[in-house]
Amino acid sequence: MKNLQRRDRVKIYGDLLSILNAEANSEKIVLTKVQVQINVPFDRLKNYISELIELGLIENEYSLKLTEKGKQFLREYEKVLDFMKRMGLIYGKQKKIHENDPTGLCP
Amino acid sequence: MSEVVDFAIEVASAALCFVLVKFMFKPYGLTREGRYLGLPVGFAFLGISEAMLAIGILQPAGELRLLSLLTRTFAYVFMAATYYFSRDPAKNSRLLWSITFGLIVVALATLAVMMLRGFQFGLNLNPSLSVFLRLLALFCISYICVHTIRKHVQTSEGATLWIPLGFFFLGISQYSMIIWAGDANFVQGYAFVGALVARFTGLGIFIAVSYLSFYKRKGRPDEKPSA
Repeated sequence: MKNLQRRDRVKIYGDLLSILNAEANSEKIVLTKVQVQINVPFDRLKNYISELIELGLIENEYSLKLTEKGKQFLREYEKVLDFMKRMGLIYGKQKKIHENDPTGLCP
Repeated sequence: MSEVVDFAIEVASAALCFVLVKFMFKPYGLTREGRYLGLPVGFAFLGISEAMLAIGILQPAGELRLLSLLTRTFAYVFMAATYYFSRDPAKNSRLLWSITFGLIVVALATLAVMMLRGFQFGLNLNPSLSVFLRLLALFCISYICVHTIRKHVQTSEGATLWIPLGFFFLGISQYSMIIWAGDANFVQGYAFVGALVARFTGLGIFIAVSYLSFYKRKGRPDEKPSA
């Protein structure tokens, strides 16, 4: 049996917002592609999207996109994750803190 | 003059700790996971400990010095508990965290009452208890150092090396204080000054890491300037 790491709702929201933000330039966001990236069942993905719309973090006019509140949440979320990683609070392989600055302390 | 300098040093240390509480609270603020509360609580206790030392300089009292040592030790106990529970969340980790947090608070309250009652009834608990508390603090700092170094080895990124270094300096500070407690004459030499330098270096590293995480512009490829 695979030892999958349990994710709480905030982590899933953060991951989903990150993916939607990365796909911001796409004309249309394909939900099945998002589902593969975020690794949750399709019905739950739709629930999460509904919850994020209710919270005012994303909007669904022509395509799914982050609201200003959603962008602000994502910025804060990434900062806190970065801080937690620096503090040694999260285990597991994650993306680099700075792509161009492996030490993270260079100006 | 020396008292003024000592007072200023303790107040500055307390201020740094309270500034760090604000940053350390953010992981809990975002995730609402109780296991991340140990860091803000720990730094708050560290700040209270330094504040007690500062008050103790103005109004010398044996109780304050020992209570300061107690709060400082439990600051590291809270931090070590958070690092212990910050591993992959298990099925009962929330319940275990709540039980552990409760037990630490009960132990802290019991020791504080024992100390104050001891002073009231003229019992001298000071020597054995202070040695025990200092050793417990060193043990907790060592655990945190090992944990964060293991984390650094796992991620193999330079940025994660600073926090074990910060805790290492706090450990050096505690160790120097043990030397100072054992040989007061050595104070005039290096131990006391070394402890202060190590303490400020450690706290400075934490402030720098917090600043880099929350205020430094990262310029990630996916990040766009807001309209």
